[in-house]
Amino acid sequence: MQQSRKLPLLLALVLAIPAALCAQPYKLAAPIAQKPVLLTSVGQSADVEMLKVLLDRSKIEYKYDIQVKAGGLAATGAKTIVVAIGGSSKGLGAAGISPEAELERAKLLFAEAKKLGVKVIGLHIGGEARRGELSDRFVQAAVPACDYVIVVAEGNNDGLFTKLCAAAKIPLDSVEKITKAGDPLAKAFK
Amino acid sequence: METDQKKLPGLPLSAGLLALVVLVLVLVAPSDLAMRKHDFVRKGPGVTEVRMLSDWFPGIKGGRGDTEVYVLDSGKPGGSALVLGGTHANEPAGFLTAIVLVENARPEAGKLFVIPFANASAFTHTDYMEGEPRRFTIEGASGARTFRFGSRATSPADQWPDPDIYIHASSGQKLSGSETRNLNRAYPGRPDGTFTEKVAFAITSLIKAEKVDVSVDLHEASPEYPVINAIVAHERAMKVASIAVLNLEFDGITIGLEPSPQKLRGLSHRELGDATDTFALLMETANPSQGRLRGVTDEALILKGRDPLYLKAKALGRLFVPFDEKGSPVEARVGRHLAGLAAIFSAYTEEKPDRAILFSGLPSYDELQATGLGKLF
Ligand SMILES: [Zn+2]
Repeated sequence: MQQSRKLPLLLALVLAIPAALCAQPYKLAAPIAQKPVLLTSVGQSADVEMLKVLLDRSKIEYKYDIQVKAGGLAATGAKTIVVAIGGSSKGLGAAGISPEAELERAKLLFAEAKKLGVKVIGLHIGGEARRGELSDRFVQAAVPACDYVIVVAEGNNDGLFTKLCAAAKIPLDSVEKITKAGDPLAKAFK
Repeated sequence: METDQKKLPGLPLSAGLLALVVLVLVLVAPSDLAMRKHDFVRKGPGVTEVRMLSDWFPGIKGGRGDTEVYVLDSGKPGGSALVLGGTHANEPAGFLTAIVLVENARPEAGKLFVIPFANASAFTHTDYMEGEPRRFTIEGASGARTFRFGSRATSPADQWPDPDIYIHASSGQKLSGSETRNLNRAYPGRPDGTFTEKVAFAITSLIKAEKVDVSVDLHEASPEYPVINAIVAHERAMKVASIAVLNLEFDGITIGLEPSPQKLRGLSHRELGDATDTFALLMETANPSQGRLRGVTDEALILKGRDPLYLKAKALGRLFVPFDEKGSPVEARVGRHLAGLAAIFSAYTEEKPDRAILFSGLPSYDELQATGLGKLF
């Protein structure tokens, strides 16, 4: 009994190892990003707090400024911006920022990033709850400015991210869960 | 005197009306007064002490704001936590979860304080014009258990009249007058304030005196409300909340995370975090029986959470939560709260191992969906 139970397990392992090595699980072909990292948000949602945990777990150090402005980007020394995409009325309310002001900050920040050659990795991890009127304005504004986008699948049920990324030729990776977003994020770094 | 009599030809009519009013009061009073009796809560295996909230603020002693505080002490070193149910008495998953904790939880590390009827006065009345049942019944393992379905606010019999504008004492924030009876706009409370502010003050005092590490206020919200199936966290509690959200995701439970707005005052997740050292959190589940779009409001709606009008609203894209024919049953809502509490406490324990808060004896989300809530009662 013992023997016969171990055999299929061994077989599965033998088959799985090369499969794991050869597989190209992500659309992002090669790492694009360099440290240091600046973590921010477009839409002021608390999803950025979960990105902190993911970055911590991936052992990627970062500076954090949820309201970083274009003028302050160079001073951070960041070579990559990791941005949590998605709006929260509570978050915007908490920060005392109007959606319009947040969109304007994002626009200027991304323009500055482009000028400085800073890469932008966008993550939408809030699923369906982080979509809808308010959030979609931030999605529309942020995604085209990204060099790489990771979305938790539920947030892309209607294909909005697929459409935006295809139009701007941005590699897009979809993961099933927030906890699974840490791996492609870590792999994006050189 | 004689002339006065002549000016009141309607006296017999008035007297008749008055008699009718008295009759109605006499008929209604017993059921009204019965609402003041707290629902039965069994002392579970983990309960080491039942205290009253007035132990922490004598100003509410003997009044209708005083309420039971169940203490579940593991006797082992660790941290302490407070769970509030019934801040809003029309949000059953909140107080049912608290009752499930009292009756079933076994603390393994640290100490748990549970207040099932945080605003006890709110359980003594329902909101008029809402057509809500006063009670609902769950077929429990030990027989039928009946629970009150109350109001969002303190009873006007205990605090009246409302001002036109409610000014939050410590911030000067202005809200509509009826919010003056909302416990979750009254924090941190005042010892010499309104009935509701005194209750809030007592809770704040408990947290300070007992050095409560984590406080979780259990709520529900209507499915059309944007912050739902969510944890709202004070900034100091954000990391613990984030870890909890990720841990819940491992168990297949999707829950959003929202920051406690700094400018929205009087709420537990803001004021308890500001006024004390506690990590202040609040959780919301989706309860169609308190929603504005609901149809017939009966016991079935409270327990099953099925409503054709909410299905319609979902189809029109007006809801912020998944909603289908299965509705939003109370098992799912209590299951989310229980799983949320477990995730929060385990995240806190992960962060501060010397202040561990751990308990057992509770079903997982999936187990609860399979067995139903009655099994726990
Ligand atoms: Zn509530």
